Amino acid sequence: MDDAQAVNALVRRCVAGDAAAWQEIVQQYHRRIYNICYRFSGSTEDASDLTQEVFIKMYRTLSTYDTSRAAFMTWVTTVTRNLLVDHFRKGKYDRVTDSLDAVPGGQDEGLTLAEKLEDPSATPEDRMQSQQAQKLVHQALAKLSPELREAVILRDLQDMDYKEIAIVLKVPEGTVKSRINRGRTELARVLQRNYRQVS
Amino acid sequence: MTDHIQPGMPCAEVEALLAEAIDGTLHGASLAAFEAHRDSCPACRTMVEEASRGMHWLKGLDEVEPPRNLVHNILALTIGQLPEPHPVVVSRGEGWLERLQGKASSIFAPVVTPRFAMSLGMAFFSITMLLSIAGFHVADLRNVDLSAKGVTKAYYAAETRVVRYYENIRLVYEIETRVRDLRRAATPANDQQQQQQQQQRTAPQNNQPKGDDQQDKDRRNQNYNREMGRPSLAESPASSNQVMDEVNSQARLNRRKA
Repeated sequence: MDDAQAVNALVRRCVAGDAAAWQEIVQQYHRRIYNICYRFSGSTEDASDLTQEVFIKMYRTLSTYDTSRAAFMTWVTTVTRNLLVDHFRKGKYDRVTDSLDAVPGGQDEGLTLAEKLEDPSATPEDRMQSQQAQKLVHQALAKLSPELREAVILRDLQDMDYKEIAIVLKVPEGTVKSRINRGRTELARVLQRNYRQVS
Repeated sequence: MTDHIQPGMPCAEVEALLAEAIDGTLHGASLAAFEAHRDSCPACRTMVEEASRGMHWLKGLDEVEPPRNLVHNILALTIGQLPEPHPVVVSRGEGWLERLQGKASSIFAPVVTPRFAMSLGMAFFSITMLLSIAGFHVADLRNVDLSAKGVTKAYYAAETRVVRYYENIRLVYEIETRVRDLRRAATPANDQQQQQQQQQRTAPQNNQPKGDDQQDKDRRNQNYNREMGRPSLAESPASSNQVMDEVNSQARLNRRKA
């Protein structure tokens, strides 16, 4: 039995009322959903709340999942993305982090952002700098428009292929590629604009 | 971006292939044409560099760790809201064991949950701990006499133990003493006089022959009055004189006989 069949069997058990199957689904997918929500919303509190809402929605609509249309992972990501978009449209999470405009701390001087990202964990100091660099990139991600942000999150953070992303976003593959290109370019420009030392 | 006319491939096509080229999924002639255009077009080269840098930074983001209680919260929010269990379709080829398992899983689904198991475990733990503190051991059950006589005996033994324990509690004893003191302090002086008069009126009856029970009661009253600080009230003066007269007359008769 391959992974897809095992997941489908798990879903069938869950739809039949097997609580243990549901628990297994939560264990398998909560990390992925939390990361998508975190990168999209920008805060851990919102990500936690949104992840819980995603699973509540999944529970209620699990019986509507059609195994012949898409993989379960794609369906889960679609549910997550739809909920995120709904919340974004309501304006709850439509906020832009402005801390990117703040001047970096003194210990950051002399190091470019590229350097901080390249050497992740040589010494504790480097690790801290890497963490700071990750924070800056995370904040820059929040500067992107929602369409570009969700495209790069699904491609570069969740490693989904263009076809799966097209299903999730309900747009053609060409549009997906275009959004990914623009998202990556825009992110680089945001970082470069705010941090002149970026090489 | 201005669409430069470059040999081999237009800029628009380079942009269309950009994602695949950066992701490493572009091969063969398309890749060669893409690289040739990139090297010859400054605008496209800048675009490729920026997109590569953006992807590199995004890929450098680590996966974040979810909160520890997230799974628990999700299960707590959803486990009680399980959708109505759909009828489990069992194919005819399956045996009775599979069918039984299918039916049992749908019936016991609301019970077989982590929350229920946790509650059951906590209840068992609490009861076991209480029994252990109370000194109860399962091994003692073998020595228990469950006949009617044995149960009655055990009941009265337990009652005696409880009463004895209660009476021996220092706190109870002190409270009783304090209540007695308060009652004594609250009794007015005229009540005491009335009690004296009443005892004087009832004194002649004391001369009558008394049984053992009556004598015991009198002795207790005497003791009680002694405790109360009025020992003279136990026997009235009238009753004392009568006794003395009887004794004297008896002595006189004895002398005459002699």
